[in-house]
Amino acid sequence: MGVAVFLPLVLPLTALPIARLAGHHLHPRAAARLLTAIAVAMAVSCAVSLVLLFVVGTANIPGNPLPDSWSDPDVRDAVPFHREAGSGAIVALTAVVAACARTLLRERRVRSRARHALAALPPGGPDPAVLPDPEPYAYALPGPDGGRIVVSTAMLAGLAEDERAALLAHERAHLTHRHHRHLLATRLAACVNPFLRPLHRAVGYNTERWADEEAAGAVGDRRLTARAVARAALISRPAPAGLAAFAAPGPVPRRVAALLGPVPHSWPPAHSPAGLATMVAAAGAAASVLSALNAAAALLILLKLTTPL
Amino acid sequence: MSEDQDTPSPRARRRGQGELEVQVLGALRTAPGPVTAAWVQERLDDGLAYTTVMTILSRLHAKGAVSRARAGRSYRWRAAADAAGLAALRMRRVLDNQADRDAVLASFVTALLPQDEDLLRALLDAASEGA
Repeated sequence: MGVAVFLPLVLPLTALPIARLAGHHLHPRAAARLLTAIAVAMAVSCAVSLVLLFVVGTANIPGNPLPDSWSDPDVRDAVPFHREAGSGAIVALTAVVAACARTLLRERRVRSRARHALAALPPGGPDPAVLPDPEPYAYALPGPDGGRIVVSTAMLAGLAEDERAALLAHERAHLTHRHHRHLLATRLAACVNPFLRPLHRAVGYNTERWADEEAAGAVGDRRLTARAVARAALISRPAPAGLAAFAAPGPVPRRVAALLGPVPHSWPPAHSPAGLATMVAAAGAAASVLSALNAAAALLILLKLTTPL
Repeated sequence: MSEDQDTPSPRARRRGQGELEVQVLGALRTAPGPVTAAWVQERLDDGLAYTTVMTILSRLHAKGAVSRARAGRSYRWRAAADAAGLAALRMRRVLDNQADRDAVLASFVTALLPQDEDLLRALLDAASEGA
């Protein structure tokens, strides 16, 4: 399988330019879908590579339960640096499995607690659950029954009537388009390969923008939606002191500015930097998948050849 | 009211304020009428210190979840919060765990960076002009 097995570990770097540019140059719906697809393809390829290296690596361990052929010199020679890579893969795969399990457990815990919190309320269907709370907040809680919108009285009190409509349309868009699935998928991808973390962050931003655009469409007013986002942010608590102050504006001002600008195009022109970055990332994802498949096929063939039937 | 002014027992702190608030409010909601803090303490049957129960009750009072009336030298407490109030307290428990909240729930707006506020006010003015 040669070097091909290592490629999926580093190819996620090809997606970093589009993760950076997507927010400005693609429609957020296209950006969120594209980035999620790339992240998932790259993460799966990376996981396959780790498993293959793990298989080779376990052959180094004395007394391993695998067939003798797995520690056959031919198999081991097929991977450059098989000893180091194999040992590394055992550690890495353990860490990846642990991180994914922790992410899934946390997701389940928070969702079940949130569901439990709302259990006392009468079932609301499409209506938001309005909770008396002096802290302004609004969340979309995904659930098997289509999910529920939770909004505090303080948040509603801080917004004008039409701005509330924009807020609820935004949260409804999160539920309708199942944004939590994009977020969970990319969060797990980031657990598999830390190089994919910027993609998860970019998908987080783009799902918010996507919901903003849906809300703007639902209330028929982009300025009004911009106002709702800005006002909600100003009445919410500021970032805890000590958080590094970056020169670049945070996500909320960028969302507001985007809503005050023109409706974004679906896809950037092919010759623009964003178009180029899209193609680089797509090529990187395709190369990841092919490398992983190639390495898997190579190992399978090797094992078949070295296993006496 | 600052968080530091209340000093419940270490045991209570370990279990989390939110959980205790939900328990105390739950107990109050089963009361036949206005009751004393001692009644709540007995009902909880958790070995909570009287001062802890008083702290939790005061905290709930500050949030408007319970009402109180002076009776002699002590207060009689009554649950003011309805189902929505109880749900709000429970939801607050989920949201107070910031790591969990940020990892799983998508908030309508994320926290502002220090320099965001001025920028946002300028944008808000721009957005309001055309309205």
